Amino acid sequence: MSEIAQKVKKIIIDKLGVEESEVTPEASFTNDLGADSLDTVELIMEFEKEFNISIPDDQAESIATVGQAISYLEEHAG
Amino acid sequence: MAYNLLKGKRGIITGALDESSIAWKVAEKAHEEGAQFVLTNAPIALRMGKINELAEKCGTEVIPADATSVEDIEKLYTEGMEKMGGKIDFVLHSIGMSPNVRKKKTYGDLNYDWFLKSIDISALSFHKMMQVGEKIGAFNDEASIVALTYIAAQRTFSHYSDMAQAKAVLESIARSYGERLGKTQKIRVNTISQSPTETTAGKGIKGFAEFLSFADMMSPLGNASADECADYTITLFSDLTKKVTMQNLYHDGGFSNTGFSDELVEKLSGK
Repeated sequence: MSEIAQKVKKIIIDKLGVEESEVTPEASFTNDLGADSLDTVELIMEFEKEFNISIPDDQAESIATVGQAISYLEEHAG
Repeated sequence: MAYNLLKGKRGIITGALDESSIAWKVAEKAHEEGAQFVLTNAPIALRMGKINELAEKCGTEVIPADATSVEDIEKLYTEGMEKMGGKIDFVLHSIGMSPNVRKKKTYGDLNYDWFLKSIDISALSFHKMMQVGEKIGAFNDEASIVALTYIAAQRTFSHYSDMAQAKAVLESIARSYGERLGKTQKIRVNTISQSPTETTAGKGIKGFAEFLSFADMMSPLGNASADECADYTITLFSDLTKKVTMQNLYHDGGFSNTGFSDELVEKLSGK
């Protein structure tokens, strides 16, 4: 697992208070990990802070699963 | 229809997220009534909602602030007064959040850090807005300060969880601080206890649609809408209510004094 993927997982575990085993690439933030609308925006803002990037709203909307977050950040961060 | 009720007044309106927010409606009406004001919300809400759209519509600006932070509130008042060119005549506190409700914790399984967070965000922020404002001399004499609350502070509504305690603290702060500011500056402090309202915050509650319909059947005038709540708020900011203070004011179509209703009988009997 890449360093970015590890950081992303850690943020998700901390923010949503879920177990590491639940944070699979297919897991949806809202359907599987219990995130509400506020959580999903908070997650995006945490990713932005951690990786020092800015994620436009229209792109943020397409980040709905753990795997989508990791691939977006692997592509745009660092 | 506007009456120029707030002509020449300057205010701070917290908590507008989108068109469904009560604070959004208050801002629109305050603008119609001739007030000048700044809008504020937490940085995350700015990202989530459309508050900038509202600011543009009302010819004003948004000053982001975390309502749990004394420094942020100081900055809010200082910048707000600078932008508006004078001290504050009205404040709307429309701030509430419970992590326990959001995470669907039962009342017997509350997370206590979250409980404190609920109270910090939803109630202590009101004290902070008054204490900071008083300390830096941000309020004009005869200013009016209003916070939005809910009847779960007096009676149990199970889905409201620890927000019930937060609202009880909020209402108590309104009385204690109302006493203080009334004596020193003839400032009045009240809470409006509003009907359940379909806002972004309200929608987060399980079974909310059913609850809205129950409350409507239990209110002779029907549920009060966000628009009507905004109208009532404007009257409290106006000079027409100068001796109303330290009150929890029900704006609920009569719900709070209704025991049972024919509509509910019909509904329950399936007729």
